[in-house]
Amino acid sequence: MDTVTYPHEKVAAFFKKNLIPLRIQFDTKPYCNEFNVTWTPTLIVLDADGKEHHRTVGFLSAEELIPALLLGMAKTRFEQQKYTEALSVITELLDNYAKSDAAPEALFLKGVAQYKNTHNPKPLKEAYEQLLAQYPASEWTKRAYPYRLL
Amino acid sequence: MANTITWETEMKKALAQSRAQDKQVLLDFFNPG
Repeated sequence: MDTVTYPHEKVAAFFKKNLIPLRIQFDTKPYCNEFNVTWTPTLIVLDADGKEHHRTVGFLSAEELIPALLLGMAKTRFEQQKYTEALSVITELLDNYAKSDAAPEALFLKGVAQYKNTHNPKPLKEAYEQLLAQYPASEWTKRAYPYRLL
Repeated sequence: MANTITWETEMKKALAQSRAQDKQVLLDFFNPG
């Protein structure tokens, strides 16, 4: 990450705009135990209370790191029931990183966040249909499979 | 340098910045090698 991903201009700009970057050596107590760190790099998105909302383990290129972090930011807002903010981040992810590994989960989360925000089940079915069309082999398409019946 | 990430190294300070700036924290557990 230090030699390839973090020096990338887009990554540095993304961090500066969107996140508070915190670096802790993998064996630092009590944090390595509290977060059950077993491999590096382990990247975790936290809210201001220190609560974990998303993690990735292993190397990510710049093209994959930014959408992975956007997904983490969206999941934080979703889990805080800030659905409009979550949807804004998801839109940024899907508009700019539709081919990334994080995109199918983001599309799934979009449908769920829209449903939670409106209690209208239609976005769930739309999410499944879009997943099937754009990411037919994704696990998130399989997870959305029941929504086809809505 | 434009391409340098400024890392916080203390959890308490990072969480305080998170609250003040309404930004989430990206915690990187790293191995210095």
